[in-house]
Amino acid sequence: MKIKALMLAGAMVLASGTAWAGCGYQNEIPIKSLSAGFEAWKSVTDAMAECGNFEAELDQEFRTKQPAAFAASPSLYHLGGVSNGTITPLINEGTIRPLDDLVEKYGAHLKPNQLIRIDGKIMAVAMMVNTQHLMYRADIFDELGLEVPGTYDELLEVAAAIQEAGAVDYPLGATMQSGWNLAQDFNNMFVGYGGTWYDDAGNPSVNNEAGIRTLEMMKALTAYMDPEYLSSDSTYVQQQFQQGKIAMANLWASRGGAMDDASESTVVGKVEGAAAPLAAEGNPPATTLWWDGIVIARNITDEEAEAAFRLAMEGMDTEMVAEHNDDAIWLVDGYQPTRLAQGAIATAIHNPPPPAYPSTTQMGLMHSALGNQLPGFFTGERSAEEALAAVEAEYVTAAKEAGVLK
Amino acid sequence: MKFKTFAAFVAPSVVMMLLFIAAPLVSVFLQSFYLTQPVIETVEVETCTPGFLEQTCATALRTRPVLDENGKVQTTTTFVGLQSYRNVLEPARAWDAISGFDYGALMGIDFWRALRFTLTFTFITLPLVILAGLAIALAVNNTAKAFRGQVIFISLLPFIITPVIGALSIRWLFVGDGILTRMIEGWTGEDIAVFAQGWSIELLMLFYRVWHVAPFAFVVFYAGLQGVNRDAVEAAIIDGASRFERLRYVVIPHLMPLIVFIALIHLMDAYRVFEEIIGFRSEAHVISLQYLTYDLLTPDDAGNRSVSRASASAMLTMVGIVILLIPLLRRTWRDHRGAH
Amino acid sequence: MSDMPKALRQPLSLRLSSAAFLAFWCLLAAFPIFWIAVMSFKVPIDAFAANPLAVVFGPATRAQGKGLTALDMLALGGLLWLTYRAAVRGLPAMVAGMAAVIPPVLGWIVAAAALGLGFVLVGFVLLPPITDALNAALGLEPLLGVTTENYQAVWVENAFWRNFVNSLQVTLGVVLVSLTVGTLAGYALARAGSNLAFWILVVALIFRALPHSVLVAGYLPVFINSAEILRPILGENAPTLYGQPLSVIAVLVAINQPFTIWMLRSFFQNIPAELDEAARVDGCTHFQAFRWVIMPVMWPGVITTGLFSFLLGYNDFLVTSLLLDQSNMTMVPAIAGYFNRETTTTDQVEAVAAAVSITAPLFLLVMVFQRQIVSGLTAGAVKG
Repeated sequence: MKIKALMLAGAMVLASGTAWAGCGYQNEIPIKSLSAGFEAWKSVTDAMAECGNFEAELDQEFRTKQPAAFAASPSLYHLGGVSNGTITPLINEGTIRPLDDLVEKYGAHLKPNQLIRIDGKIMAVAMMVNTQHLMYRADIFDELGLEVPGTYDELLEVAAAIQEAGAVDYPLGATMQSGWNLAQDFNNMFVGYGGTWYDDAGNPSVNNEAGIRTLEMMKALTAYMDPEYLSSDSTYVQQQFQQGKIAMANLWASRGGAMDDASESTVVGKVEGAAAPLAAEGNPPATTLWWDGIVIARNITDEEAEAAFRLAMEGMDTEMVAEHNDDAIWLVDGYQPTRLAQGAIATAIHNPPPPAYPSTTQMGLMHSALGNQLPGFFTGERSAEEALAAVEAEYVTAAKEAGVLK
Repeated sequence: MKFKTFAAFVAPSVVMMLLFIAAPLVSVFLQSFYLTQPVIETVEVETCTPGFLEQTCATALRTRPVLDENGKVQTTTTFVGLQSYRNVLEPARAWDAISGFDYGALMGIDFWRALRFTLTFTFITLPLVILAGLAIALAVNNTAKAFRGQVIFISLLPFIITPVIGALSIRWLFVGDGILTRMIEGWTGEDIAVFAQGWSIELLMLFYRVWHVAPFAFVVFYAGLQGVNRDAVEAAIIDGASRFERLRYVVIPHLMPLIVFIALIHLMDAYRVFEEIIGFRSEAHVISLQYLTYDLLTPDDAGNRSVSRASASAMLTMVGIVILLIPLLRRTWRDHRGAH
Repeated sequence: MSDMPKALRQPLSLRLSSAAFLAFWCLLAAFPIFWIAVMSFKVPIDAFAANPLAVVFGPATRAQGKGLTALDMLALGGLLWLTYRAAVRGLPAMVAGMAAVIPPVLGWIVAAAALGLGFVLVGFVLLPPITDALNAALGLEPLLGVTTENYQAVWVENAFWRNFVNSLQVTLGVVLVSLTVGTLAGYALARAGSNLAFWILVVALIFRALPHSVLVAGYLPVFINSAEILRPILGENAPTLYGQPLSVIAVLVAINQPFTIWMLRSFFQNIPAELDEAARVDGCTHFQAFRWVIMPVMWPGVITTGLFSFLLGYNDFLVTSLLLDQSNMTMVPAIAGYFNRETTTTDQVEAVAAAVSITAPLFLLVMVFQRQIVSGLTAGAVKG
């Protein structure tokens, strides 16, 4: 077996010499990309690498590196992988280029839905959407005769019933690790209660009824969770599902595939997806919509930009999606929604739809302030009003320092 | 030694320290008094983002930095004096809390919360590391020669293992239903969640640090024990000193310089405690001073970094360590004066 | 032991409690590392199972037909024991044998690398076919669920050996530069009693206490834009320092200098000054005296200090994760990359396997050098 693996490695080295085997053309200009490192990016960059002369960097520090590396002249990377959160600094600093002419030349097959337009210009091409939505153990629901909850009030009742029956260790899981995850969980619920994070002038508006109801609902949910929820991130929740410790969670769509991975999961085929529950009737589902896609640096030559874009189109083609259908909710032509993608799709097409996570400077500041100041509420050191006041105070300090608030 | 020779010998080392430590330090010092901001404009922008089937477009006011003719962000730098320090220390709130004896309110301010943890962490682990190191060294010195090699080998493991990985390996033993959590649950009969409350995380962090550093103290003390003067021990025996008295009056004084050495190193390392915060995900409950600086410097998704506040917090951290080191520095100064 | 004075002999109770304490400490020291090593040999379901027995015996792993028989375990235990013996007993002799040809520091490196290579060759290439054949012949059934698939995934599929090479490059660079620069400075600081020397040491001490994250965040923009910044001076050949192992080596050496010069200075202080003064009287310059009189006797202290530099370079996370790009990434940040926000359980088990792999060279290092650490420290590197 070991020998076989070694031979395989040898074959791979050989293959990289004549790499464009799986690609329609041979890429001549060396291209580098910097992106996050989750499965979908691995699939896309592997597909691009088949054209040769391509080096992909899947880096967990990409948030820190990307703005600086793209601002260098010449830019250290040609291609960047971004989401609607991380595109903000690149747009603000003008370090990525408009793609209209390249889309016209090489992107005829792209759906209009994929083209991210800012101020009328195409600045990025999206490849997938992601959203947090309800995943639940269908077998437990069937056994206990429970209905899939459509609102968070119903969800609390269901959780109580599961708790009562003692079917799992904890009825609920949640991505509430203090910091980014906790803030994002707040954002989701806050949207559900109709909140907006800041007004047109950039003043914070979270310390209000929507904010307090959000925190109260989150606190109510924590009663059904593993008490270590403040250190549980998406991977941890995913593992809790896989090991059969929880029955429900509002989890990222990109995590769905892992539930049916027989080498990791003990609950294959038992987990189903449903739309993210509503926090209040008539409002959008309590979640936000995300996309991931590619951008191209400004500080490179036009030839390099063209080569980079062509390569990206090759990586995001139907062939790649056919091979990696379950890695994400792809926007690319040829995607076949799976059983586990149904919940995310139901969330996205709900009416009114959940808002996209805003790509603004203020949102970045607000997200950090929420992540830093909310844990005090969950550890019991602060009341909801105190925690939200602390969030607003930190936001104001940071916004003044960043110059977006006078 | 002539100055020129001396300079030639130390130059490479000093230049490297100046370039990579002193220069960033000076720039941090300056940045803590200045505030660099982009010039901001507010414009109405239409943004289109994908849904699953079709796009949603929204028009909203967007603040964005103004770019100059080279495409770089235009910035203004203003001298703000101690404003960044005030933003970190929040003196008014802190004073209200102190004068009102409101401990909770004081701990609501990040800097004071971080300072509280950093100092307790430093001063609790310090004696524990020294005691554990000494105990292990004495015990190893006490075993048969045949086992010593193996015992030293095992004892050194926690010290050499990569800190990030050491912290993770301990975390896995306790997180969720980790095997040690289950064991404790078995003894006490209660449902335990180690990472659910501040004090238990803090306890685990203390344990990890002692586990990680005690081997270093041990090996230094063990080396020192090899040089204990046998005549002095025998003289003490003739004087009728008990085992404990021999330890107290012969061995410990012999090891004293080493104890000071370990204390010094440990003080510096424990004061910049950081890996434990990340490794044990304790941000919700406890943070340290270095973590505070790190957090301010880490850009959020929108690329914002609070450079001025981070610089101020870094300078305050440095002032703290200099204060802690003063007694030891004075001792070194006296030695230096005494020797020449 | 027989010449020990009667009064020094210890009562049984003291000896027992001392041994019990030591046993407890060894358990404490080794257990977490032992546990991640066990996890790394299981499929994800077993590795993260709630029941510790499932983690140890690996039923899901065994169900896939991957396991060790009693014979395998015996062979493995024997190999580990032999490696340990060779490291502790055989290597010093080997180095002494080579001492005529190459200096001891290089000798140790060569010998340690040879031992590591030998272990991998015997353990992974020679033994498996033999035990497989014997197992088949004797009809033995696996007792313990064990799989090396995580290691294969890490080293072969994810090309972790590249990170290993990078780590080696950075670590060796740090050790060599750090010691060269450090011995020179340490020697001068030990011999010069001037106030300047004192202040250099004090400032270095304060530098040692600085939180690293402050420094590192300052480097990133400068390193990324270094081509632009240096262009007026160096022209078109101005390098981008970001991502270069050399720049990381420089940073780590600088960060490590304060500790190195303090260690080496106290070590040199214990080499009598009369030694080099005598050489100076014979007409040597300071540098010649250093080269011909001091260098031959300084190795114990240098080896000990070098080990600390090695640990710093090898274990560093903050500097390497921020200043290196993917193609030059060292092992520790590469492992941390498995644990970011977007990982799967399989990634995590592979990360555990990678983590165990990177501890193996450290194991070897301590086995080989533990006597040198103790004797180097005894020789005076820490006398104040």
